[in-house]
Parts: sequence; structure tokens; C-alpha cells
Amino acid sequence: MNNVQSNTDSSAPKPLLELNNINKTFRLGPADVRVLTGAGLTVYEGEFVALVGASGSGKSTLLHIAGALESADEGSVMFQGQDLSRMSRRSRHRLRNHSFGFVFQLYHLLPELSVLENVLLPAMVCAPWYKACIRARPGKRRALELLEQLGLKDRLRHRPSQLSGGERQRVAIARALINEPALVLADEPTGNLDPKTGQTILDVLRGLHKGSGQSILLVTHDVNIAAQADRVVTLRDGKIVDSTPSVS
Amino acid sequence: MYKIFLCFRYLTRKGIVLFPVLAVWLCVMMLIIVNSIMTGFVNRVRDAGRSLMGDVVIQSDSMAGFPYYRQIQKQLALLPQIKASTPVISGYGLFNLPEFQVNTGVQVMGVEADSESKVSSFGSSLFWQYKAPMQAVQDLRGVGFPASRKKLLAYAQKRLLAAAKVEHARQQAFADLKPVSSHAWFASIRQHWQVIAHEDYQQAVYKENRADRDLRMVQALPNRSFVNAAALRKAMVPLAPTFVPPPQAANRYMTASDEPKSGCVIGVDLGLYKRDRFGHYHRPPGVRFSPVIITMVPVTIKATLAQPQSRRFVIVDDSRTRVYAVDSKTVYIPFHVAQKMAFMQQQDLLDGGVRPGRCSEIQVLVRHDSSEVNILAARKAIAHVVHQLELLHPQMEIAGIRVRTWDQVQAEYIRAVDNERNMITFLLGLMSLVVVIVIFLIFYMLVRDKTRDIGIIKAIGGSEEGLGVIFILYGMLISSAGAILGLFTGVWFVRNDNWIHDHILWRIFGISIWNRKIYVFSKIPDQIDPHAVMWIVIFAILAGLLGALIPAIIAARQDPVEALRYE
Ligand SMILES: Nc1ncnc2c1ncn2[C@@H]1O[C@H](COP(=O)(O)OP(=O)(O)OP(=O)(O)O)[C@@H](O)[C@H]1O
Ligand SMILES: [Mg+2]
Repeated sequence: MNNVQSNTDSSAPKPLLELNNINKTFRLGPADVRVLTGAGLTVYEGEFVALVGASGSGKSTLLHIAGALESADEGSVMFQGQDLSRMSRRSRHRLRNHSFGFVFQLYHLLPELSVLENVLLPAMVCAPWYKACIRARPGKRRALELLEQLGLKDRLRHRPSQLSGGERQRVAIARALINEPALVLADEPTGNLDPKTGQTILDVLRGLHKGSGQSILLVTHDVNIAAQADRVVTLRDGKIVDSTPSVS
Repeated sequence: MYKIFLCFRYLTRKGIVLFPVLAVWLCVMMLIIVNSIMTGFVNRVRDAGRSLMGDVVIQSDSMAGFPYYRQIQKQLALLPQIKASTPVISGYGLFNLPEFQVNTGVQVMGVEADSESKVSSFGSSLFWQYKAPMQAVQDLRGVGFPASRKKLLAYAQKRLLAAAKVEHARQQAFADLKPVSSHAWFASIRQHWQVIAHEDYQQAVYKENRADRDLRMVQALPNRSFVNAAALRKAMVPLAPTFVPPPQAANRYMTASDEPKSGCVIGVDLGLYKRDRFGHYHRPPGVRFSPVIITMVPVTIKATLAQPQSRRFVIVDDSRTRVYAVDSKTVYIPFHVAQKMAFMQQQDLLDGGVRPGRCSEIQVLVRHDSSEVNILAARKAIAHVVHQLELLHPQMEIAGIRVRTWDQVQAEYIRAVDNERNMITFLLGLMSLVVVIVIFLIFYMLVRDKTRDIGIIKAIGGSEEGLGVIFILYGMLISSAGAILGLFTGVWFVRNDNWIHDHILWRIFGISIWNRKIYVFSKIPDQIDPHAVMWIVIFAILAGLLGALIPAIIAARQDPVEALRYE
């Protein structure tokens, strides 16, 4: 409740994403799987939040609901003060394109596209069709900057299959960042990597958070990783049960 | 724009798309080839039929013909839309070529050579009076104009010499071929080689004969200089065709009284000439200028047969209208002679009256272009003229005169050919539905294969419509690629079908689909109907769209989260 009061205070952090009382049930024939039962979570601007929980506890589901990929059965999702469920389909597409940047455990790059093209894809999605034929594709400059930052400058023309897991995940991060999203949603970005590579990926994310104040919602079940976030929230029995500021 | 971009990437980086492209390609090519050849065939039948009879024909139901044709012609000459008209007598007769022991029933056509050639293609169907000199002009093009007769002579002689050399070499080559022994496993191939060598030799003979003919034509030229090919053509091709035998015809006869007074023109397919695989006619020496006896059986107005009439003629030319039914049965004689033989001439009656001369039909050529509307309008005007005269002369009515356009005269035949073409194109089009299915299957596989990508694209903001568009665009790109390839190869094939047929199918594989000995036309039709081709291409692209439609809908409705979970 003091959140609401502190909103009037200009120095206090503004809520970026608010999940209130989210319910989600998957119907599998006779047996219903109640995954989320009144989960609530707020991510403030410039915050780095880690979402932890047991496997199958519904972390990914919550993240998908937060990112407008899936809709909740009950409850509201507010992003920058707007209710997602009241938005038109078009604005939800725009939101996914502009305001969210997804990073997945399995990288999810398009195999037919080169590294650069993968990174550029979100920028192309929102560009008008007639720019397709222009050499300098929209966002190309930024894509090159990002790839350079992430140490992939000389892999631009490579295909995802020619990269290692860590490199692929960095490409995925670059893709998530190309449209300068308000919030990066990362679903176990390190889950498929060895601890060392996983740490470098996390360092990249932390660097973004520290450097430009990027808001990040990161799903993980790795305690060491979670510990490096500003705040760790735990999902258990379909609810957020625990929200503690991280030690670091 | 990512849609276009992704389409191109999928197109260039997925090998499987080659199959639908190939399917569309082959289908489009096949349809273009079949349609073009069939259309060409129909058009040629049409044009040939039309060039036989002008635009409009006034015909009588009665075999005895109808009178007052001169009056009709006079009235027609007053109509602004009529260019020319000509009367024709047609009847049945016997054709007897004593020196070659040929005896056959023919259709005798009495025509006025000069006015007939204004209305129909009669003039340009004649070999000696038109085609041979035209060929000579063509052959002598390379002489370099202006050219004197002397220069032309030297050139023609050089050509003849060269042709003779080739002929000799080919003959040698044919003679040198080893005889086929029956046990050789490739006996049939060797046999084919022999056939081809013999054909080559025959062609060389044909060319030599032609060069010889050219030389004779040059020899007959007046001794002056010719500025260009057109001037040469003017000097070689007579102004108007004629039945009058040329002076050299007299050489064939012992005495002047031996030579028949009037000439006749025979249909080229009457059976006197041999035709080779390439459609060239081989005219044995001696047929031209030989005497023939033509017997006609006149029909009286009361529809009884009268005394048969026989007359001697001298063959002055042969005619090729390209309609086999005509060329194989027709003999042309001068109109006034035919009229007398058919008892259709003007007669003085015992009571002092005059029975007007009659003809079987009047052929009319319409002025300006020959669009259907024009011709139909002209037909109406002509029918009116005929009707007015019928009111004046009640005896005309009995003749049952009909005025029809060329299209109406041969409607049934053309409709049959036309139907055939439409049927075949339709059936092939139906078969091309297979293409739709191929595209559908491959796209279905592709959408399955790309499920995860679809999820990704949705996660980064791609909309349902966007994804649908990607796959539809993709389908259209594939079918367009196939259609364009099919268009070019199809057009190329049609343009070169004669060459492909003669040099690849026949020479290499020994397959001959188009045998000129049988076909009316010596060339496979190679005209493209741009309209039809356009529709074929449009349908091919639509087929791609249709095939891609359902997969595209599946892709659009894919749940992104499920797609992302898909491994
Ligand atoms: N489309 C679906 N249909 C049915 N059940 C589903 C569906 N999606 C998720 N579930 C179920 O919902 C539960 C939560 O899934 P979710 O993927 O959110 O878990 P998670 O916390 O991300 O697990 P993990 O850590 O293993 O990734 C699981 O039990 C899963 O089986
Ligand atoms: Mg998960």
C-alpha cells in the first residue's frame, strides 16, 4: 500500500509492470492444471528482478502473461499504467515489439537468417514495407553497436548454427535490445549454458542494468544467478510468496 | 517489410521450395505449349478457310446456280463497304490426265482469275505464278542490289553450283553408309541414320531443283537493272494470275492445234506430287503443261442431268490453299469456260427471250479491316441488295440464295476444332490442380517445420496477419518464379517447336509427331497468344496462393507460446 503513496513522490521508483491477482488454469481434458492462483508482482522502472521457483511452478507462464504472449484467466496486467487486457490486438503487437525484449532459454533464433538479420528482425517488423529494399535497413547502426558491445562484431554473416550456445544467447540479447525495450523478459537465459558461460551472459544483463538502467525480469531456478539481481521473488503454489531484496 | 524479407530468405535458403517451383514451371510450360499450338492450329484453319472465299459468300442452294449475278455485282460495287466481288461456278467433274493415267472425280471451280485473286487468296496460292518467283526473290536476296540481269545470272549460277555440290556430297554420304546387318544390336539405330541420310539427300535435291528454278526465272528476266528486291519481285511476279498458257507451253505439243486453248490450275494435293517429311512438294517434270481432259455434268434448272461436257485443258499451274479438303479435290478453270460446260451461260430462248447467265456463288471482300462487326454489317447490306433484286426477279427466289459470312459457312468445322482446343486446355488446367496440392503439401510441411519460428516472430511483435501474409507471399513468390520460368521456356519452346521437332525429336530420337506428309500445314504452329499466356500465368500465381492459403491460416492462428514450447 505504501507503493501507492510513494507514487506521488517524484523520487520514488515508478511501477513499470504490475501483475495483480493472476489466475491461470490449463485445461487438459478432465484434469485441470491450476498453474497460477492469484500471483501478484510489481517491477519498478530500472529494476532487475529475478523470479525463482521450482520447475513447473509456472514461472514461464507468468512471464508469458507479463509479456502479452498469453492472457490470464483472471487478474490484471498493467504495463506503464495501461491494462493489457483492454488493449487492442494491434497495440499488444506493438507492445511486444517496442516495449518488451524476450530472451529465451533455447535462444530461439531463426536458423535461415544471419546473426545480423536475426538482430534486425524486430526493427524490421515495425518498419514500413517500402524500406525492405533499402540497403541500410532500419536499426542497422544500433544492431552493429549492440553486436560490437556483445563481442560478436565479426560474426555478423554467420548463421546461428555456426555459433556456440553462449554466442547464440548474446545474439538473442542483442535482438531483445534492438528496439530499446522498456523491459527485458528473460526466461532462464542461462539454463542451457555451463556455469561459466551462464555467468558471462548474466554479466551482460547486469551490465545493461547498471549502465543504462535497463529494467529486467529474469526467470531462473539458479540461486547464484538470482542472487545477483536487485530483488528476488519466489513463485510457489501459484503465488508470489516471497519478495526479498537481494544481498548484493 | 520483414514479411518480404523473410519470404526471400525462406525462398533462397530452403531447398524444398524447388519442388513447387518445378511443378509450377512444368505446368505453365505445358499449358503454354499446348494452348499455343492448338490456338495456332485453329487460327490457321480459320485463316485458310477464310482466304478461300473472301469475307461474305452469296450462294445458291440449287446446283443450277442463280441468275443476275452481274447485277448483284454492280449493286455491290456501289456499296461503300465492299472492296471486290467475284462470281464462281462450282460443279462436279471428272479429271483425266492421259499421260499419267490419272482419272479422278474432282470439284471443278470456274473462276475469273484476276477478280478471284482480289477476293480470295487464289492468286497467292499459285505456285508458278506466285510462290516460285517469290522464292526466287527470297533466294536471290544476297546478290547485292542494285543488280543487273547479268549479275543476277552469275549469282544464280553460283548458287546452283553450290547446291549441286551439296547434293553430290549428300548422295555420296548416303551411298557410303554401310548396309544394315540384321544381327547388329543397333540395327534400328543404323536404319534411322540411313533414313536421315536419305532425307538429307532429298533435301539437297530439293534445294538444287529450287536453285535451278531460280536460275530459269532469272533467265526469263528482261535485260535491265533492278534497284532492290522489291523491283525484282515486280519483274518476276505477274501482276494478275491468268489461265492463259505461257509461250513455253507450246514446246510440249507437236502442232499448235494440239495445244488446248485454255489452261487449268490443279489442286496441289490432287495426288500428282510427292510431299516429303519437311512439307516440300516434289513436282515431277512434265506435269506442268501436260494436257488434261475435264468432263462436267451440267445440271439443268429443272434439276435433271444434261449431256456431259468434255474439254481439253493444259495445266498451267497448281494451287495450294492449305486446306487439304480443297487442295486434294479441286481443279480451277476459267469462269466463262466453266459456265458453258455447266450450261449456265446466257441463252437465247426460242420465244425470242433471253435466259440470263448464272453462277454458283459470289464471293465478296469487305473493305477496310475484317473485324467481325464489319463483316456482319456488310453481310446485312449484301443481303439487302440480294433481296431487292429478288423482288425484281421472282425467278431468283427459286434458287434459294443465301448470304453468309465466311465464319458462318465453315462454322461447324471451326467450332469443332475450337471446342477441342478449349477442352484440352481445360483438362490440362484441371490436371494443373495437382500443382495446388503440391504447394499445399509442401507448405503444410513448411509451416510445421517453422512452428518455432512462427512463435518467435509473434514474440517479437509480428501479428497474425503478418504471418499469414508471409506464407501467402511465399506461395505467390514460388508460383511466380515457376510461372516466369514456365513462361520463358514455354515461349521459347513454342517459338522453336519446328526446330526442336526436326532436330532433336526426329534426328536424335527418331520421333516424328508432326508429319508434314499428312498435315495440312507444313509447320507446327508457333504463334503465341499473349492473352492466353497471360491468363495461364495469372492462374499459376493464383494456384500458388490457393495452395499456400490454408497453411498460411494455420501459421497465423498458431499460439505463440505453444509454438515456442515446440521442439
Ligand atoms: N499449454 C499448456 N497446456 C497444459 N499445461 C501447460 C501448458 N503450458 C504449461 N503447462 C503446465 O503449466 C505448468 C507450469 O509451466 P511453466 O512452463 O510455466 O513452468 P516453469 O516454472 O517455467 O517450469 P521450468 O522451470 O521447468 O521451466 C507446468 O506443470 C506445465 O505442465
Ligand atoms: Mg520455464
